[in-house]
Amino acid sequence: MFNNPLPARRIKLASLSAAALLVGGLAAACGGSSTTTGATSFNAASCTGGTLNVLDQSTEDTGLDPAVLYTSGGGAIPRLLFRTLTTRDTTAGAKGRTVVPDLATDTGEASENATVWTYHLKSGLKYANGEAITSADIKYGIERSFSSVLAGGPPYLRDWLVGGSTYQGPYGSDPDLASITTPNPTTIVFHLRKPEGDFPYLAAETQFAPVPKADDTGKNYNADPVSSGPYTIQSFTKGKELVLVRNTYWSRGTDSQRLACPDKIDISLGLSSTVIDQRLASSIGQDADAITTDTDVDTATLAKSASQPSLKARLTSGNFPDTTYLAFNTKAAPFDNQLVREAFSYAVDRTSLVNAQGGSQLATALTTYDPPSIGGAYHPYDYFPAGASGNAAKAKQLLAQAGYPDGLTVTLAYDSNGSSYDGPANAAALQQALAKAGITLKLDAIDDSNFDAVVTNTKTEPALSLFSWGADWPSGAPFLTPIFDGRDIVQGGGNFNLAQYSDPSVEAEIDKINQITDNSKAQAAWGDLDAQLGKLALTVPLYTVNDVVLHGSNVKNTYVDQWRGWYDISSVSVK
Amino acid sequence: MTAFLVRRLLAAAAVLLIVAAVVYGLFYLMPGDPASLACGKRCDAAELAQVRQTMGLNRPVYEQFWTFISSIFAGHAYDNGVGTVWCSAPCLGYSFQSDEPVTQLLTQALPVDVSLVAGAAVLWLSLGIGFGLFAAMRPNGLRDKATTFVGLAFGSVPIFILALLLLLLFCVWWQVLPFPTFVPFTQNVGQWAENLLLPWFAIALTFAGNYLRLTRAGVLEALGQDHIRTLRAYGYTERRIVARHAVRGALPTVATIAAMDIGGVLAGAVFTESMFGLPGLGKLMVDSASTIDLPVITGVTLLASFLIIVANTVADLLYAVLDPRVRIS
Repeated sequence: MFNNPLPARRIKLASLSAAALLVGGLAAACGGSSTTTGATSFNAASCTGGTLNVLDQSTEDTGLDPAVLYTSGGGAIPRLLFRTLTTRDTTAGAKGRTVVPDLATDTGEASENATVWTYHLKSGLKYANGEAITSADIKYGIERSFSSVLAGGPPYLRDWLVGGSTYQGPYGSDPDLASITTPNPTTIVFHLRKPEGDFPYLAAETQFAPVPKADDTGKNYNADPVSSGPYTIQSFTKGKELVLVRNTYWSRGTDSQRLACPDKIDISLGLSSTVIDQRLASSIGQDADAITTDTDVDTATLAKSASQPSLKARLTSGNFPDTTYLAFNTKAAPFDNQLVREAFSYAVDRTSLVNAQGGSQLATALTTYDPPSIGGAYHPYDYFPAGASGNAAKAKQLLAQAGYPDGLTVTLAYDSNGSSYDGPANAAALQQALAKAGITLKLDAIDDSNFDAVVTNTKTEPALSLFSWGADWPSGAPFLTPIFDGRDIVQGGGNFNLAQYSDPSVEAEIDKINQITDNSKAQAAWGDLDAQLGKLALTVPLYTVNDVVLHGSNVKNTYVDQWRGWYDISSVSVK
Repeated sequence: MTAFLVRRLLAAAAVLLIVAAVVYGLFYLMPGDPASLACGKRCDAAELAQVRQTMGLNRPVYEQFWTFISSIFAGHAYDNGVGTVWCSAPCLGYSFQSDEPVTQLLTQALPVDVSLVAGAAVLWLSLGIGFGLFAAMRPNGLRDKATTFVGLAFGSVPIFILALLLLLLFCVWWQVLPFPTFVPFTQNVGQWAENLLLPWFAIALTFAGNYLRLTRAGVLEALGQDHIRTLRAYGYTERRIVARHAVRGALPTVATIAAMDIGGVLAGAVFTESMFGLPGLGKLMVDSASTIDLPVITGVTLLASFLIIVANTVADLLYAVLDPRVRIS
């Protein structure tokens, strides 16, 4: 539920053959993909060395505490520092949406109807300080994320773990979370209060990174966390620069998902998007070795690339599974009437919305809630065909049937931030399109810092909002459950079931799917559920964003991973 | 003079107290909840209440304000989870976002603006006064009109456009300068200056037009006065008259405006910092405002207010030094 994503020490080679397999495997996976680009040929075996420069808008003000970070699949930069029980498959294309082992030997053994998950750690795992990583460290890292002084991470563990809803973290009088057990230093067992077939995906989040208790500095840990990944922090000035150097206790022998080619990664923070685009496009000097982890290419550079093949060759595209949609509060008139909701579904002009995003290269119209980039959970449907530019006649007919023959006037709440997916450009496009169907849309711009607080509070939620939703991991579960599960309606703030929709049969179906541990079957079932819910017109899916990103001319093995829709910088090289 | 400074100091303390109170008041009147932002997505009411308590936002506003004021003089202990950390006086609290002491954030950001103003002020004063004199020596002639037009043109261009233009010209097309990044003066003087050259010129070109106009007007007014006529009668050259005598007529005004402009840039050059990626006070203020980071907002506002008060005081003192008719009392 990544709303508005924008808007992330040396082990001796245990086995030479394992390392060779890894290098060969990653190079083949990356080199064989159609999305792979690179100035010259890339060889994973000889890619090490040099300094990769990263140009980011993010200021990283909140630092790098794995308990506080809210990433999808471990993010970009955090994944260079933190290894987790599982991680995303470092592969271009659809395979990049699969979950694979990281610190653990497999993606988890499920038992007792997917309510108990057991993981065994690989041997020889060490932190950047040379100490061994144990299962107790992973437990402690998770426990920290329950503390109110380290709030901000994903909510799933609190909901899923037995006793999670009342546990206050390891700093209080009751520091132990009994639903996580560590029978030995290499085994960790999770006891869930309900079946969760998607648990291996969650185990890729940074909350599953090990934290040595002796080095925990509470709130101050975010400035200098102990690394378990291929890099460690050399210097970190929030808002200015983060410099990463090799963790000498890490090796490819125990990590099949990170190539870690550059010797050093120099991340410039707090840059403006215009400057990042200029620097990457011009690719001069050190900027030839530069990449970004958070800035899409601007429309001017995209247009210029059409006539400049050398620039076009440095563009890479991909998708983060997200949906921008019209959210109806079905507890509020007139959207308690399905006919009105259907009328809105017919009236929208998706072409104008896509154009407001910069055109078809940057956005794709959507008639399903699950976007195609979510993989198996995408089942195509279009129950209220609006065509490319809206079906005003059908919308008027439905409004008349609903008791509004002369049309109606409603207020649309949207985020005032101009760069937001649910921002002013979309609101204006919707206003124009709905007017053709006799719907007068009054616009209510809510300040970016307050938008979620107003819209996700059941007491203040407007009748109609423009909203966007992204997947914490590429599965139907985090995409559909918070939005349509009636048990997830949170009174007060933090409610994302904006329809405030509740149906026991849907909830029973959600529980049934959560028990499926065969991922392809689970995703197919999520897709069926989406297709079933779509008939109720609880939302009007509008479009999904296409990420187009640029890199410097000397950066190789670049691809946008299909889990997050951004560069996977753990695989790129400047040699 | 001493009495004047003491009075100014007391007035400054009162102003800063009022500024802090207004910031706190506005913070609670404005929409947005920092606890909600810190709590993350899908944070229910109970979790939110806990986070609010951890951040100290559950206490009455007057209590929070008193803690803030008393911490400036006596320091304050903060709970970081595993223990308490002591924030020494003058303690302006800890950032809600970064959990760093606000005083540390300010001391990191201020050198950026000091560096910006150091070079930019020299440039804008040299360009403004120099071309102002140049224009005044041949009033209403071609060079006067051309100089005034160019000065006004640069002064009319928004600084973010000028900044982008300079970046394109010098970093992309001609490639004679690097894209700026802040290198501290103490680390490498050469790189410090090289990286700040474009920001300096961006500010200077925007400001210089005003100084050109002020200098030109002041000099022209002085040139019409009796003592200048007497000097001409003695056979002094026009260049000497302007450079040594008439310019004194313009200096008090220029110095007053310069002191206030310097204070303004020191207090944060938002667009310049943003376009050139310089982590100064302006950027800190914008970032903290967007994340409703009250301790940082208050800290930056107080420092900015203090710098502007100092600049105004310096302007008053300079006026007295440059114009013997004015006496400080």
